[in-house]
Amino acid sequence: MGYVAVTAGEEVIKRAEQLFEKQRTEGSSADLGIDQLDEQLSRLTAQVMSESGLYAPRLAALAVKQAQGDTIEAAFLLRAYRSTLERYDETITADPREMIASRRVSPAFKDVPGGQILGATKDYTQRLLDFALAETERTDPTGDWDVADAGAPDRLTNVTELLREEDLLHEPDEPDIEEPTDTTRESVSHPPARDAVLQELARGETGAITALGYSALRGYGQVHPTLAEVRVGRLPVRIEHPYTDEPVTVTHTDVTESEAVVPVYEKREDPQFAFGYGLTFGRNERKAIGMTVLDASLQLDSEAEPAENAEFVLDTIDGMDSFGFIEHLKLPHYVTFQSILDRIRSIRERQGMSEKDSADTDHETPPVAEVSNDD
Amino acid sequence: MTESTSDHEGDQTTANDETDGGTRVTSDSVDGALADIETKGVVGYNYAYLDEHTKREVRRAMLKAVAIPGHQVPYASRPMPLARGWGTGGIQASLSLLGPTDTFKVIDQGADESVNAANIRRLAADTADVETTTDTTAADVIQSRHRIPEEVLTDEQRLVLQVPITDALRKVDSSDAANRRRHAHRNYGKMWVHLYENVVEYGEINIASRYPTMVAGRYLMDPSPIPRWDVPKLDDADHLTILAAGREARIYAVPPHTSVEPLAFEDRAFTVERFPEEACDACGSTDTYLVEVSSEDEGTFETRYACNDASFCAKRREDPALTKDHHHDRAGVDWGPGTPNTDAGGETE
Repeated sequence: MGYVAVTAGEEVIKRAEQLFEKQRTEGSSADLGIDQLDEQLSRLTAQVMSESGLYAPRLAALAVKQAQGDTIEAAFLLRAYRSTLERYDETITADPREMIASRRVSPAFKDVPGGQILGATKDYTQRLLDFALAETERTDPTGDWDVADAGAPDRLTNVTELLREEDLLHEPDEPDIEEPTDTTRESVSHPPARDAVLQELARGETGAITALGYSALRGYGQVHPTLAEVRVGRLPVRIEHPYTDEPVTVTHTDVTESEAVVPVYEKREDPQFAFGYGLTFGRNERKAIGMTVLDASLQLDSEAEPAENAEFVLDTIDGMDSFGFIEHLKLPHYVTFQSILDRIRSIRERQGMSEKDSADTDHETPPVAEVSNDD
Repeated sequence: MTESTSDHEGDQTTANDETDGGTRVTSDSVDGALADIETKGVVGYNYAYLDEHTKREVRRAMLKAVAIPGHQVPYASRPMPLARGWGTGGIQASLSLLGPTDTFKVIDQGADESVNAANIRRLAADTADVETTTDTTAADVIQSRHRIPEEVLTDEQRLVLQVPITDALRKVDSSDAANRRRHAHRNYGKMWVHLYENVVEYGEINIASRYPTMVAGRYLMDPSPIPRWDVPKLDDADHLTILAAGREARIYAVPPHTSVEPLAFEDRAFTVERFPEEACDACGSTDTYLVEVSSEDEGTFETRYACNDASFCAKRREDPALTKDHHHDRAGVDWGPGTPNTDAGGETE
């Protein structure tokens, strides 16, 4: 036979791809620019960067455009691209205390060093559709603000520092490793190190993180944290200069950070708060807080509740994994289904339930429960 | 950047003056050097998509898997340009094995024509510059979703099976940590109890595919959702089978001439799928794995059976007497149901 080109399948794939692209281009509106997505839908690109584990706003905007707004698909495009890139260097560990915060709220205390910074938020606005937005030209509502230059921002003291000073906060165990784990280079095995947990949570799918975090609050868990603070701001990215060995700032990343204390007493004789941490790329407070709840829950390391079981949480929160496997069910399953048919028919025959008489005989429930074979 | 750093022999086709260290470039500027290097496959991507370090890592995992038959070896599993759960483990293994002189075949549920198989084949053809084929006997590497071909594989062929769920014990315990302990201790009691409970409840073992299988008498293996029909083909095979999972990031293997034994009881033997009194509607075969094809004719449904292995069915239509080992230098090769010496599936001919 030799080489046989299977052109039919490949032709069909190409057409399907073209039809998909047509859905984006068939309207009469102007083509969406990457800048527009980057500037005007930054929450979307932030989510995509966070779930892909690659901080690249313009590439994220391109991915969002190509995926027609499907966040998981866009994150998937970025992850697949990221995996082909050479890793030149590692950054110096970032210290979140250096963050230039544009927003910072501390639900734990009324007054905190550095004060509460409300910043840009929709939290307290009324969720009313703004019909004017559909019509009017862009205007900057802060255009006529008279803002005095206050100089360089102060370094904010973390609220958890106050608790640490009083020894109220249990420090998570220091990992006994030199190099941080990288779950993109080393697959997760159980029990996972905490840095692996945090990395997987930081790359987790926003909806899944929110849902599982919520489950712990909803009653399927022990953790109802008090947020020490939630901050949104910029962190410098530093590397060691290859010639001078001095740290140099190469860029900044927008991040959302959340810290929580949990009144679960680690030790009876020395009651302390447990601690939960969350950090994501971009502006995504929901995910950062969900991650915080999950981090705190996972430290309880119990199989009693889903959110406290590291295997359960880490196995289910990754968007690439869950979307891929859920959607693979669309693939043909002829072979496995034939195999299942064979089992169920064989068992029905054995129990005297042939195809004809099964309708009017009064047998127990057919044994379907376990015959369905997952693949 | 190019094929020049690849480990594959026969890979050095673009430049004449290679050294072991790679392609020698003559330009004195970086841009000139980059322009000098021709990129095979998709522009901007390495040969066979994955970078050389990744391919080496995957090959190391495969070697380890060969050294410990049936044992699941973790590897990093890169995000691929295919969705996870759609053959990303298989394609990583395939791309790490393939060189430009290889011929590649991809099967999805028995068919080369399946769109997902076509997509995987296209990725390999575009990035690894390989010939593709639908002919099982012409392929050097065969990537398959859930079938082992009907034609006997030889010791020069490698079979890559896509794996959705890596651990046979997942059926009885969802915890990977607990199951790894069981594997370490060769403690498969919980699976035996599960099979026994099957027999008590249904009179027989009701596992359809993904049949728990003991490899080299040591590790219990999930043979991927191949039908039970195909499991005996793994036993004492001439070819190497690599089982690769992308989402779960594990690789395991059945090396050539390794014993592969499906779990069963003395009085409840392992059985393969039965196709009583049925032959393929297209080629008339009675010794192949068939699937049901329904058609509607004036309000009544008619069920016909057809070979699942589309490539072999096409050959049988030409030559109905073609044996499964027609290309082998010896006849009567043991290759599962319908071949000589098979001790599995007493209900086949």
